[in-house]
Amino acid sequence: MELIMGIVTILWEKWREFIRDFSRITMAALIAPLMYLIVFGWGIRTSMNGQPYLYFLIPGVVSLTTMNGSFNAIAQNLNVQRLYEKAFDQVIISPTPLWQFIAGQILAGSLRGLYAGGLILFLILPVGTGLKFNLLSLLILALNGAVFSALGIVVSFLAKNHADVPRFSNYFIMPMAYLCNTFFSTEQIPHGVREFISALPLSQTSRMVRSIAFGEPADLRGILVLLTYLIVFMSIGLYFVYKKKNL
Amino acid sequence: MIELKNLTKTFDNFTAVDSLNLKIETGEFFGLLGPNGAGKTTTIGMLSTLLLPSSGEIYIDGELLTRKRQDIKQKVSVITQEYSMRQDMNMDEIMEYQGRLYYMPVRQIRQKTEELLAFAELTRHRKKTIRKLSGGMKRKLMVCRALLTDPQILLLDEPTAGMDAISRRQMWNLLRKLNEQGLTILLTTHYIEEAQSLCGRVALMNDGTLQEIDTPTHLIERLGAYAVDEMQTDGVHSHYFHQREDAISFLSHLEGQCTLRDTTLEDVFIEQIGKRLSQ
Repeated sequence: MELIMGIVTILWEKWREFIRDFSRITMAALIAPLMYLIVFGWGIRTSMNGQPYLYFLIPGVVSLTTMNGSFNAIAQNLNVQRLYEKAFDQVIISPTPLWQFIAGQILAGSLRGLYAGGLILFLILPVGTGLKFNLLSLLILALNGAVFSALGIVVSFLAKNHADVPRFSNYFIMPMAYLCNTFFSTEQIPHGVREFISALPLSQTSRMVRSIAFGEPADLRGILVLLTYLIVFMSIGLYFVYKKKNL
Repeated sequence: MIELKNLTKTFDNFTAVDSLNLKIETGEFFGLLGPNGAGKTTTIGMLSTLLLPSSGEIYIDGELLTRKRQDIKQKVSVITQEYSMRQDMNMDEIMEYQGRLYYMPVRQIRQKTEELLAFAELTRHRKKTIRKLSGGMKRKLMVCRALLTDPQILLLDEPTAGMDAISRRQMWNLLRKLNEQGLTILLTTHYIEEAQSLCGRVALMNDGTLQEIDTPTHLIERLGAYAVDEMQTDGVHSHYFHQREDAISFLSHLEGQCTLRDTTLEDVFIEQIGKRLSQ
């Protein structure tokens, strides 16, 4: 049990945060994706491949919601804890292994992403789209959340002030939300840029979740791509906590 | 035992701590004194692994301290200069989080939290979030949090900053008692009187280097145990004497307002560090 006690501690801390800020977290998770669905799905009524555009949109919006939910749960919070509250100091000082702190953050962030994505899935249930979301979809969404939680850790350690995380969000997360196989297929993007965007984690997630939703065979190589991102971001996070001289 | 060997910390081109060598014995109450920017907080930062040394090593009970050494970190508690706590948590949550980070069973955390909060007279504020507490309350809570885990070594960086006089005296009594029970304490403070009252040995630090290490009594005796303050138009000038008779004799030749008193550690500090700074 001691082997993972640090992870349990971080999950406990995040759970307390979730309970405390339940309404704020829930509202923040709902607003943007609901707007996307209402405006692009129901407001601008179009179709794609002979089906309502909403059907294409839902898997993309759920994917980007897990991305936003996970990234936001970790990046800004950890940044504030590190630079302003200095609460992160206590973690460094404590005997809890820092890899467990990183793993706990990633796991908690992934769960927060799943919660946000789950809310959207719950809200679209009455629409009766016939889209399929199974255990594999959830696994992919959880992995997507883990990737962006790990990215959130990296960004929060790179941030030099309070504004750096929102700035990163504006420059990287928001463009990804729009371009990565969410609102339209990456097939429509010109060569060169297409390959780059297709290789991004959200593009992989959206593609796999959409394939499953449409009952098509999913190309699961995307899971390997997501795992690679996760390992890279997690390794950078571990480098920071163990090797960076001035945290 | 805490041992610092050639400990150096540089930030870009600035050397905050320069080849620091220091041994603090188990059970000692040791004070680190120095003006702002002397390197005291940086030293505590390295001892708590918040900062990693640019060169040199830290040994705790003969073992090299690194961020990976859980066994060593388990022995140490730190009260940092800043209020290092989540602002949205309440006191109970702060204590539970700390206990969990140190692998304490939840039942034990809750039991010790009761005792410590009662001791610090914080019980009725326990459900308040940290952002709603006064500076003094936060400081007391940090002490409770540090003691929760039964440390063997306590690092205190300006622990009484922001406390009123009564709370400060209470804190002194507590620290004295803890030290008597065998806790090794390293204290940095701006209150020289605090160091004189509490510490068995003190080190005077300036520009990242150690200037003097000794007991407060020896440092005072070296300067002269008796001080004569002479009021002059440009301020007070202090003169130090080893013998009381010499001080009285000097005093009898002075005209104008002057006083004879015991030399304090603050006098040593001003003579050693203050004069260097003003040069």
